[in-house]
Amino acid sequence: MAKAFRASAGIMLAPAVTLIGVFVLVPMLLTIWLCFQDWSTQTPFSEASFVGLGNFQEIFGSTSVGRDFKTALLNTTIYTALSVVLILPLSVVFGLLVYQRDVAGGTALRTVLFSTYMVPMIAVALVWSKLYSPSEGPLNQMLGLVGIGPQPWLSSPRSALVSIVLLNVWQQVGYFTVLAIAGLTQIPGSLYEAATLDGANGREQFRFITFPLLRRTLLFSAVIAIINAVQVFEPVALITQGGPVGSTNVLTYHIRRVGIERAQGGLGSAMAVMLMLSLMVCVSALFAFVNRKDSE
Amino acid sequence: MSLAWISKLALAAGLIGLPATGCAQSVNISYLTHWSPETVALLEAAAKDFSKQNPDVAVTVRAVPFGDLLTTLRSQGGSSDGPTIGGIYDLWLPELAKDKLVAPAPDAVASEVKSAWPAGVVSAASVGGTLYGIPNEIDVYALNYNKELFKAAGIAAPPKTWAEFKDVAAKLTNKDKGQQGFGMINSWAAGVVHPFASLLVSNGGNLVKDGKPALDSPQAGETFALYEDLIKSGASVPAMATADANTTGPFLDNFVSGKTGMIIMANWWESALKTGMGDKFANVATAPIPVGPSGDKPHSISYSWMTVVNAKAGEAEQKAAWQFLGWLNSPKSGKNGASAMSDILMSMGILPSRSSDIEAHKDKLGSEFLSGYVSVLADARPFPVVLGGQEFSESLQQTLEALQYGQVSAKDAQANAQADATSILERAAK
Repeated sequence: MAKAFRASAGIMLAPAVTLIGVFVLVPMLLTIWLCFQDWSTQTPFSEASFVGLGNFQEIFGSTSVGRDFKTALLNTTIYTALSVVLILPLSVVFGLLVYQRDVAGGTALRTVLFSTYMVPMIAVALVWSKLYSPSEGPLNQMLGLVGIGPQPWLSSPRSALVSIVLLNVWQQVGYFTVLAIAGLTQIPGSLYEAATLDGANGREQFRFITFPLLRRTLLFSAVIAIINAVQVFEPVALITQGGPVGSTNVLTYHIRRVGIERAQGGLGSAMAVMLMLSLMVCVSALFAFVNRKDSE
Repeated sequence: MSLAWISKLALAAGLIGLPATGCAQSVNISYLTHWSPETVALLEAAAKDFSKQNPDVAVTVRAVPFGDLLTTLRSQGGSSDGPTIGGIYDLWLPELAKDKLVAPAPDAVASEVKSAWPAGVVSAASVGGTLYGIPNEIDVYALNYNKELFKAAGIAAPPKTWAEFKDVAAKLTNKDKGQQGFGMINSWAAGVVHPFASLLVSNGGNLVKDGKPALDSPQAGETFALYEDLIKSGASVPAMATADANTTGPFLDNFVSGKTGMIIMANWWESALKTGMGDKFANVATAPIPVGPSGDKPHSISYSWMTVVNAKAGEAEQKAAWQFLGWLNSPKSGKNGASAMSDILMSMGILPSRSSDIEAHKDKLGSEFLSGYVSVLADARPFPVVLGGQEFSESLQQTLEALQYGQVSAKDAQANAQADATSILERAAK
């Protein structure tokens, strides 16, 4: 009986496992194998030659290859950290606002918030590149009305990456607000009623009921926000091309440049493996942190 | 008639029709370019004319932004379903040929090209003596300046030397009006490197000499120092220099709107200037690159584009592609003895490279804007076409941008640029 059950489970799982194996595991293993090879993406795999850790030495070395990779890694880290730090609190604030059914305009706010997530990135990129225009951009014109001088936005290495982060926050916050609302609906109303009877004010209710019970939702949101941010590509490819001075050159864009444009498949794979490892470390650390808090 | 007889007759008719269908089978070829929609429409019209004469060949045109062109060629060119024809920048050819992505030109095409194009252009479309593409355009850099701004600043003539250049740039700079004397470009490799290289060759230097980087020369040192001076004096503002993936953006907007007095750019941006400036385009004039302290006379950088055929495409597709390209670039396809390709190029202000096309478009090439470019062509130096050239170009771009934004000194920029170029070219040559 158990044997028959196992066989039937195996048959049922086989299509999904095969698909995952072919389309996820094989490319991952191939990338790991390629990161130890010197290989041009325009040649067959048979022409790859083993170089050991040579590609890693190169991407962490002092030549332009190493400098560009380290800059891209740092840019991706800053972009991810800023995105998560801005998106999560904003999504909770907006979620709380939208969740209050008696607040006027709540439905309109919910619609507006989520609509940004539905706009295709190509349209977002086109509009925001014009909004950020240093000379004729509406953002600078609005700042001018309140006496603030024109900002360079995408034209300065100091502000270009932050400008791309703001664009990302604008587009993604609606989606994460929906996740926050979903988390809020899971909190029993009786807890708030009891807290109110005990004399807890709104801030205390947030601190001792809402925030602790939203922790799992926020963990999920953080993981998704990190993965989304690490994979950023379109705004960089469409607006800045990684510039100025490589200040918006993020890893996905850089890997595409190295691996496809320059056909340096081995180097590109080493960079992709480093990206994958960084992501795994980051997400694992986040889970460990939240689990430790839970056990405390 | 019974159903059985009807079936037999239908089968017989079908069998008779089969060979005829096979004979009339059309060949579909595709052409990948980075041109704007208006120019793509001209190419599509030419393709339609070709298909009228060759009903068995259908040509479709696909356009991607310039920033995606090489990636698209590399990612799709390795398959028989990828674009059959691609317009490429000569710098990319050595690596595309090394990776066997582009097909050598058939003998008939090669001999036609060798007899009808200038030798320098033919050499830029060849690797190891084998011709890979049909050259079509040649681009050269010169100094563009705004005559109205010159007049307002009391400047009578464009600068001829670097000393005059710095002086004029300072006079044209007006921070209160948000006006810069000389416009640099950033966030676009060719836009950063080509103007710098034009100033370098006008100072008697070279980017690459005998296959090795020559950025450690005193002439290169003076060129890096010139950039540093222009930035430090405020005559050039890097925040006004950004370009986007379509090679437009603030650097163009600032010149078009009269916020930039001078800029070093190639002839092909004539159409962008006309679109952006309208009647004010008449204010734009062209002059040779100012000569540096170590230079003998004005020089600038030139480069060429060509059309290549996908080596992985089927035999019939490759044959049709060469046939189409041969027609498109021949004097029979355009107006008044010009090729259809040159008519398309001239619509954008791009100089055609075929000798007969230059003759056929003599009048238009004599316009105030383009004649300035034509006049510097004879002394222009081709941008070095070497293995690893694109990576070298992107690396130099990063160094120059760091210099523009004051992140490195001219001296450090020179040392970094030479070290990076040496490592890149050595690795690519392996």
